[in-house]
Amino acid sequence: MSSLTRRHFLRSSSALIALPALESLGFRPFARAAAPEAPPQRFLFIGFGWGVTGEGFLPSLQQPGNSYALTPGLQPLARHKSDFTLVQGLTHKLTHEAHWGSTVWLTGANRYGEPGQAFSNTISADQVAAAQWGKHTRFASLQLNGGSSTVMADSGHGPGLSLSWDARGKPIGGIDTPQALFQRLFSKEKTSTQQLHARIAQERSVLDTVLENARGVHSRLGRQDQGKLEEYLQGIRDLEERLQKDESWIERPRPKAPVGEPSVGLGGREEIRATYDMIVAALQTDSTRVITYRQPVSTLLKSLDITVGAHDMTHGQEAKEGEKVEASRRRDVVQSELLAGLIDKLKSVREPDGSRLFDHTTLVFGSNIRTVHSLENCPTLIAGNGARLRLGHNLVVPKDTPLCNAWLTLLKGSGLSLERHGDSTGVIKELLV
Amino acid sequence: MPRFFLASPRGIFPLVFLAVFSGKAAALTPIAPGPALPIFLKEHCQECHRADKQKGKFRVDDLPPVIADVATAERWQKILNVLNAGEMPPEDAKQPPKHSKSDFLDQLANLMVSARKSLSDQKGHITLRRLNQREYRNTLRELLGVRTSVSELPADTSTGSFDTVGANLFMSANQFEQYRGLAREALDEAFERRALATVPLKQRVEVEEKFSVPFQRAVRWLDALDQAAARPENAALVSELRSRVKNESEFRKEWTKLAGAPDPVAFGFASNTDFLDEIRRRVGSVKIPETVRQYLALPGLDQGAYLCNFGMVNPELGFSATVQPGPEPSPLKGGSAPAGEYILRVRIAAAENAGAPRRFIEFGTGLGNQSSVLSTHEVTGTLEKPQILEIPFTLPRIAADNAGSAAERNSRSLFIRERGVRDLHYSHQLTLKQRATGITEPTYVIWVDWMELERVQNPGRTLPPGLAALPISLEENAPNPPEQDLKKALANFCLEAFRGVPAPPAYVDKLHTLYTSRRKEGDKHGPALRYVLSIVLSSPSFLYLEEPMPDSKRRRISPQELAVRLSYFLWGAPPDAHLRDLARSGHLSRPEVLQKETDRLLNDPRSRDFVKSFMHQWWGLDRLDFFQPDRVVFPAFDSNAKNAAREEVYETFAHLLRTNGSVRDLLKADYVVINGLLGQYYGLGEVHGDHFRKVPLPPGSPRGGVFGMAAFSYMGSNGQRTSPVERGAWVLRKVLNAPPPPAPANVPSLARLENQALTARQRILAHQEEPQCASCHRKIDPIGFGLENFDAAGQWRTEDILESPKGTPVGRQKTAPVDPAAAFHNGAAFRNYFELRDLIHQRSDDFATGLSNALIEYGLGRPCGFSDAPLLETMLQRGTHQNFRLREFIYALVCSEEFQTK
Repeated sequence: MSSLTRRHFLRSSSALIALPALESLGFRPFARAAAPEAPPQRFLFIGFGWGVTGEGFLPSLQQPGNSYALTPGLQPLARHKSDFTLVQGLTHKLTHEAHWGSTVWLTGANRYGEPGQAFSNTISADQVAAAQWGKHTRFASLQLNGGSSTVMADSGHGPGLSLSWDARGKPIGGIDTPQALFQRLFSKEKTSTQQLHARIAQERSVLDTVLENARGVHSRLGRQDQGKLEEYLQGIRDLEERLQKDESWIERPRPKAPVGEPSVGLGGREEIRATYDMIVAALQTDSTRVITYRQPVSTLLKSLDITVGAHDMTHGQEAKEGEKVEASRRRDVVQSELLAGLIDKLKSVREPDGSRLFDHTTLVFGSNIRTVHSLENCPTLIAGNGARLRLGHNLVVPKDTPLCNAWLTLLKGSGLSLERHGDSTGVIKELLV
Repeated sequence: MPRFFLASPRGIFPLVFLAVFSGKAAALTPIAPGPALPIFLKEHCQECHRADKQKGKFRVDDLPPVIADVATAERWQKILNVLNAGEMPPEDAKQPPKHSKSDFLDQLANLMVSARKSLSDQKGHITLRRLNQREYRNTLRELLGVRTSVSELPADTSTGSFDTVGANLFMSANQFEQYRGLAREALDEAFERRALATVPLKQRVEVEEKFSVPFQRAVRWLDALDQAAARPENAALVSELRSRVKNESEFRKEWTKLAGAPDPVAFGFASNTDFLDEIRRRVGSVKIPETVRQYLALPGLDQGAYLCNFGMVNPELGFSATVQPGPEPSPLKGGSAPAGEYILRVRIAAAENAGAPRRFIEFGTGLGNQSSVLSTHEVTGTLEKPQILEIPFTLPRIAADNAGSAAERNSRSLFIRERGVRDLHYSHQLTLKQRATGITEPTYVIWVDWMELERVQNPGRTLPPGLAALPISLEENAPNPPEQDLKKALANFCLEAFRGVPAPPAYVDKLHTLYTSRRKEGDKHGPALRYVLSIVLSSPSFLYLEEPMPDSKRRRISPQELAVRLSYFLWGAPPDAHLRDLARSGHLSRPEVLQKETDRLLNDPRSRDFVKSFMHQWWGLDRLDFFQPDRVVFPAFDSNAKNAAREEVYETFAHLLRTNGSVRDLLKADYVVINGLLGQYYGLGEVHGDHFRKVPLPPGSPRGGVFGMAAFSYMGSNGQRTSPVERGAWVLRKVLNAPPPPAPANVPSLARLENQALTARQRILAHQEEPQCASCHRKIDPIGFGLENFDAAGQWRTEDILESPKGTPVGRQKTAPVDPAAAFHNGAAFRNYFELRDLIHQRSDDFATGLSNALIEYGLGRPCGFSDAPLLETMLQRGTHQNFRLREFIYALVCSEEFQTK
């Protein structure tokens, strides 16, 4: 009963990492996910680091409603105009980090919120959804990340490993390439079921072995250090959950890939395009219902033959002319073109009941940085009918409305039960139909 | 007054200083606004934000006297934000005078920095440290003798603190899997290296065969073809062909139809079928280009080949590191050369007409745009007397899932080429230069006789400590060792991997069980063993620097723990046997022994890791890679010069560390530490060779110290134009220990000065019109102005290029004299760069304070808080009394209570 003792250990080491005793007690609450009658809800968060051009992306605040004029930066999205809403006026009040486009974008945390620490964070909106929906799919959620930590820092995302932060505010690692994502989703097992069971058993023994070591270390550490080591334990617990998932999904073969395997070594624009294709494939095959994507900016510029550095570019975003603002405008347009392509695909994919994937997806496209160093009126584009929101609008909300109010609105609108998220003060009623 | 006040804005937070220097740092250092802040609030804010009015539900009349919690900090932060954003006081209200608003913002911004620092003070507690990316790589290297690429791991630097700060070193499920994968790769390579330790591998390429003869052959055959085409009997056919072919390649395809056409085989081609492809590769689908004719007229082609700086003939000379299956039995299979240490030898010379900047080559691996440069080398040989250049390098292992792929083959391609020819904009720059000057650079100036690759053997088969700890067979196909032997071996390996901490038997038993089960699954002995060892290298005892504290009480660390702290501080790697022996004997804790060991570690080549990672992070050298140098503007500042500029920082610090020199030399010195490339770049006479050495400066040289380093100037630019703001802020942050508060969010953009030709200085002065900007920029900008004599690439200039505010240069011709005269905010004036440098040099105490701060954070692995004031004072005392000698600061830190307390 080594696995039982292992869980016992995990439970006793901290109240926060209590593991449900599952298969060892013969309890299989989600071994077989019954096919839901209506298509399920999905969440897709895409963050783009350094914000947008100061003028020429967000529509005029003087034109609220559904008859606003599209800006040059939004022009590529014209064919979808009635299917997305821009919410203007949203801000995270507790962050003042002018270079962090993503760190607290989905969390709303105060980095200084934990006394005695120079940095802390809280759970991100996607993980709130993953905690409730994750049991239905092979992957509770997927985190995609557009490059190495250097590329990401250069792209204005700030600290973190992806857009996602777990229930304790620790960063969740991401998958770096569309090709790796393809492998994760669709790689075919050549081994027999029996061999798979054996492999899972073996992996359990590996986790059991490192936990044996962790147990010893943990018992010797001081309280604060125990808290730090719990990140490791949490990692192992996550792997255990993955194994449980793998086990309960053994009988079901991996879905057939609806798209081909992306090539290795794509960069920038083509990489984003390929990642979007993989995102659609993941949602379409119901491999997961929650995805975040921390999009690259610096490699995007390189792929467009723009030689201005990414951060350097942002400091020209408010200028009238010059190579920096030209680079910035080009970036806006290309990002919107890619997004328009993604929406096309979400609209073209049909659910089993004949409705569109787009009708059951909530897509958020934005950043914590509006432009240059401005953190107010965070660019927030919401598309998809998943959360039954009012689309097609330039929705101007009172200045400094918490961005977390938007997250709360989306989460509740998608049928999740929660009272607040981050520093939210309530839902945005105007966003609801 | 303690010296490290001098740099701080005066009178801002007197309470902080009182608390710190009374030596009774309280549990929480109280941060209180000085008297000026409440006066300002009362005058300009309280009218609307008080008990009986509370506009915006915000009050300023009941702010607590000290900032002792996050909630209070947020209230002050809000005040700072709305003033920075220009939202308050409202437009229709009476506005405070600009200077008093600037002063208020200045004081409040600094107050917030102090408050954040105080509230996040770890009170000396060092959070459990995970091995960071580089420590993990170094530890695998020390344990297994291999260099594993760990770039897939998080870089551990993104929160802005040093990568040693435990609180910011996170862990996740993905990362665990990455550790397992990397450990497995490292183990596979270590076993492979051991098995192939004495296998010879040597190959020489006579470059003319690949890089000269094919051109000669092609041109001779084409000339012969032209002769045949010129025969009268071919006239009709030729004119018919000419009327329909699109290019020369199509014409050549018809060669068999021509009477008297040359036989390719007679000209040395392998056959008369595929040779036209080869010809097209050499000369293109055009008439024989002039550059090819020029090439063939060069001397020495029978024996070697030339590199070109531009064009189609040999931009690179190279070959692939492969194993040719030979007649004699060898454990090496044909194919890619195995991982290991190699030396590339090149017999090379520079032609007489090679200008000094072109007497350099770069060496690297990979192909074309995917290639990466590993090192730069000066060519000192002449055609009469060529030199043999020796380039040592490590050939990495091919990742298992990459075997046989094009990426793998490319990673085995070795090349040399002229410096910078693959840099962005290079050809553009060359074209512009030729158009402007009419002078054509010679295309071929570097000649190569041969290239030779040799694998460095390990004849004694010395094993790295990790493998030496395994007294069992390491052969792939060995039978299962007896259970007791294997368990003992695993326990030994754990002891080594866990830095001397033994693994409990229960853990070893589990490892053993895993080995047995892998064997049952069909693994051979070698893979089964490595499977198990990779688990050891993914376990917490390996990944974390464990310092137990079972009763959660502060305690003195053990000598073994001290050894680990010391070696990770100075090597970024685990203690070696000698250090561990000293720890075991208990002597290490004696101050004189500890200092001696500190010296030994600093004298060891492994201290290079400290030099590089400390300097890189402290001085923020990542900025060197934020942008590419614009070679149209700075033709001489290619990627090689940039890399050398980075090395200059490391080498200068390493020089001080080696000689225990004064850190004041980093501010001003009568010498530089440079190599041949930088000697040429700085115009410092006859300095040749690739190694860095101390070179005395002529009197009056602006070089010597950080401000004369090209790296400094370049970081203080955007790759094209100087940024006095970046430079000034850097000096305040890194030199004067008076860091400006972080750039505030939400500051409205400046009213632009359109269509006016302005110097950088004039443009920046526009900043100071706005109080929000002036509060910091009045301190930052003057320093930057004083450094304006250095252009973006660190060359001395007296004229600045005029630019318009929108950021595009008006043109290189329109210039204005650089005006470096300025004055510190509320401080001394300077007329030029030299006076500024002297003024800064006089503030060496501030510099030493900043250095000590950085050493504390880096060495202890936690932020330096107000509670560290006594430690800071001790380090400064010792350092300044010893003429600012670098090692004194390090001794003071490692001998401190803080360094030896958990």
